[in-house]
Amino acid sequence: MERETLDVDVLIVGGGPAGLAAAIRLSQLAKTRGGDAPSIAVIEKAREAGAHLLSGAVLDLSALAELLPDYRALGAPLLAMVGRERVYFLTEHRALRAPLIPPPLANHGNALVSLNQLGRWLAAQAEAAGIDLFTGFAGQQVLLDGQRVIGVRAGDRGRGKHGEEKATFEPGVDIHAKVTIFCDGVRGNLTKQLRRDLALGQGREPEQFAIGLKELWEVPEGRIETGTVMHTLGHPLRHEEFGGGFIYALPDRLLSLGLVVGLDYHDPLFDPHVAFNRFKRHPLLARLLDGARLVRYGAKALPEGGWNTVPRVYADGALIAGDAGSFVNSVRLKGIHLAMRTGMLAAETAFEALQRGDTSAAGLSSYQQRLEASPVRTELEPVRSVHQAFSHGLVPGLLFAGAAMLTRGHWLGNLHSASGHTHMRTLRWYYGIDMASPTATPAATRAVPPDRVLTFDKVTNVHFAGTAHDEDQPAHLLVHTEVCTSICGTEYGHPCTRFCPANVYEILRDASGAPRLQINASNCVHCKTCDIMDPYGVITWVPPEGGGGPQYTGM
Amino acid sequence: MILVVAEQRAGALNRASWEAVACAQQLAAGEPIAILLPGGGDAATALAGAGEVLTIEDSALASYTPDAQVAAVAGAIAQTSPRLVVMAHTYQARDYAPRLAARLRAPLVADVVGVKGTGAGATFLRPMFQGKLVAEVAPQGDGPAIVTCQIGAFRADAVTKGTPAAARALSVPLEAASRQTVEPPFQEARQAVDLGQAERIVAVGRGIKAQDQIAVAEKLAAAMGAEIAASRPICDNGWLPMDRQVGSSGQTVAPKLYVALGISGAIQHLVGMKGSRTIVAINKDADAPIFEVADYGIVGDLFDIVPAMTAEIEKQSH
Repeated sequence: MERETLDVDVLIVGGGPAGLAAAIRLSQLAKTRGGDAPSIAVIEKAREAGAHLLSGAVLDLSALAELLPDYRALGAPLLAMVGRERVYFLTEHRALRAPLIPPPLANHGNALVSLNQLGRWLAAQAEAAGIDLFTGFAGQQVLLDGQRVIGVRAGDRGRGKHGEEKATFEPGVDIHAKVTIFCDGVRGNLTKQLRRDLALGQGREPEQFAIGLKELWEVPEGRIETGTVMHTLGHPLRHEEFGGGFIYALPDRLLSLGLVVGLDYHDPLFDPHVAFNRFKRHPLLARLLDGARLVRYGAKALPEGGWNTVPRVYADGALIAGDAGSFVNSVRLKGIHLAMRTGMLAAETAFEALQRGDTSAAGLSSYQQRLEASPVRTELEPVRSVHQAFSHGLVPGLLFAGAAMLTRGHWLGNLHSASGHTHMRTLRWYYGIDMASPTATPAATRAVPPDRVLTFDKVTNVHFAGTAHDEDQPAHLLVHTEVCTSICGTEYGHPCTRFCPANVYEILRDASGAPRLQINASNCVHCKTCDIMDPYGVITWVPPEGGGGPQYTGM
Repeated sequence: MILVVAEQRAGALNRASWEAVACAQQLAAGEPIAILLPGGGDAATALAGAGEVLTIEDSALASYTPDAQVAAVAGAIAQTSPRLVVMAHTYQARDYAPRLAARLRAPLVADVVGVKGTGAGATFLRPMFQGKLVAEVAPQGDGPAIVTCQIGAFRADAVTKGTPAAARALSVPLEAASRQTVEPPFQEARQAVDLGQAERIVAVGRGIKAQDQIAVAEKLAAAMGAEIAASRPICDNGWLPMDRQVGSSGQTVAPKLYVALGISGAIQHLVGMKGSRTIVAINKDADAPIFEVADYGIVGDLFDIVPAMTAEIEKQSH
């Protein structure tokens, strides 16, 4: 069957806040500046706009106000303005309230949103502006002509479990573009390819990530005031683990709560989902959730490394924006406004480059200058090393964060931290147990059996993520499984079975006790944690057939 | 009058048509019921007594096409002026019912799971938002309302039969209506199973441990006259074909009897079978969630229990 090709001026990969802001900005520029309107296409792997978007979320409105000044009249789905704010330090049984809100966590004037709803609304604005949004199209690979990005190949449809062509087979379309803007999100598979093939991370700090697990609950009337925003530090995480919890009270009795954990933890037996369940069992949470009902569950990695980990964001024919470029402020716990702003700046760069007829790396390098002259830099640069400081523990991290705030980052040097997955210790190192000896047993993982009311097992949670994939397709998690059967069990005790929040990885044993990795690919919620955290770097996430994945309605 | 549209394929009545008859009987407050069997044939005899059987014999109805089906049912409605038209929510109904409703400008209440009241004031219950809500719907207008019943929502064995009468043939011209010709039926390389049609199902889960142990379950299924099905891990391993999978990523079934062997009852499996009339679960783990939906449960080793059950059933049936 012939592969189709499509030619556009600008291809935007990813229909999240960065990609959609870029699309909307491009259409605005075409209207105001005149000239030939560039043809624009946005591709999105989800079946519908917003379905794979998940965040807390507290939205800093600055970028939205700049992109669409009359956003309120246009019906932007702002659920509530932030009202009462609290920060707690949790011990196992107590919650110690911070006497004042640390300035980066002060959210007055920000809005509570569902990123899923915001994404759907932005998609509607883009489509109203005449942008073609192709949902259900997963970008499979970057098309390169030497060093030049010439477009993206979408994934094939209708391949069976073993890669064979089914009756419904259709080869993925090649979309050629003069400029491709990569907004494929945290650990985007195309940006990952681009970083590798064009060495975009050279001379930059290694990327850093965290995983966020989130649930949406419906609580009894009058339980908590709408607009309340709570952040927690401490329990269930130990000082060596970076992260914290959030609880946001939305209208209609909905409560958004989650736990973010740095993907640079040391304990090979650590399980973020177990930590999340322990978080919910804390009296502060358990009281809020008494008599409440789980509505939805999801998980997503987030880039935490900050300004010094942003790669080179321009190449011949290519720009990178949003989470794909690590544009997240991990101190303020915010990235949506930065995703939108970088998307807008990328759009302005692409538009001018097209008008000048120079879309080479040199022609697109003004994106870097635009970023440096923008609030993106003034927000990210002062806190550039804070996440790296937390790799030395909670207390040094907090002290450094305070110092960075007081000095606005001026007198502090750049801290270095290796890639998060290299921080994972072996069982022998961390626990002093030698799994090679026949009597060894793994240490307790601090797991408590789920009660199916407040806490759930991963499989039940996955059901609440609404994730669905065609079962008869090749596994979209490529794993060099010989590691699983040979050394991983004794060195790390198969950590993939724990860091995956969706029970994709399971170790089954045959009669002789030999381990075999079973990949339940259709459970995948596209969080990318396995691609990031696997200590051997043998797991590669590639997109499944377009349209598959979670359904994050209201998340 | 209530008109039920029955469905047949190669002379065999679709089991779900009985459920549509049951729905109609529940709705009728002394009203007459007629059952339309497009294509006619032997299936008419089976239906006789449950209502007046109407047939339309025409070569255009030998194989289903939406054109001929819509013309036939619309013609029958014109001749009989029913108040309600009831059919099972089958693939075929999904295909042509919207078109029929549009043709007649009639309200369509699809995927009905229950009815409230009888006669003209009856209202219909149908799921919304993937089953999260149930809407109560009252069709408006004078024309007939079309109702499709979710499979498994009404009990086929609740159908009452009166004195059988001979079927009456209606004359509806179809030649002009049909623009479609039928390709020879698509033969799949291996026979796909429609577990939704099975009255009894024996399903195996991870507790079966190895592929060669599935024979234990197959023997029980053979003794019971049941179809074999499985939870996802089994099909994922290729121990049984994917079309035997029950659950959110497989088929949804509602048999009279569902026997779950070594299935823990993950929510993904439960959503595919919780509509079964009677659920029997055998599992080693007394805390397994399957026991929350089971009518009968045995905590124990399926390799001890299942052969004993099979032997007992075989003894009873001889």
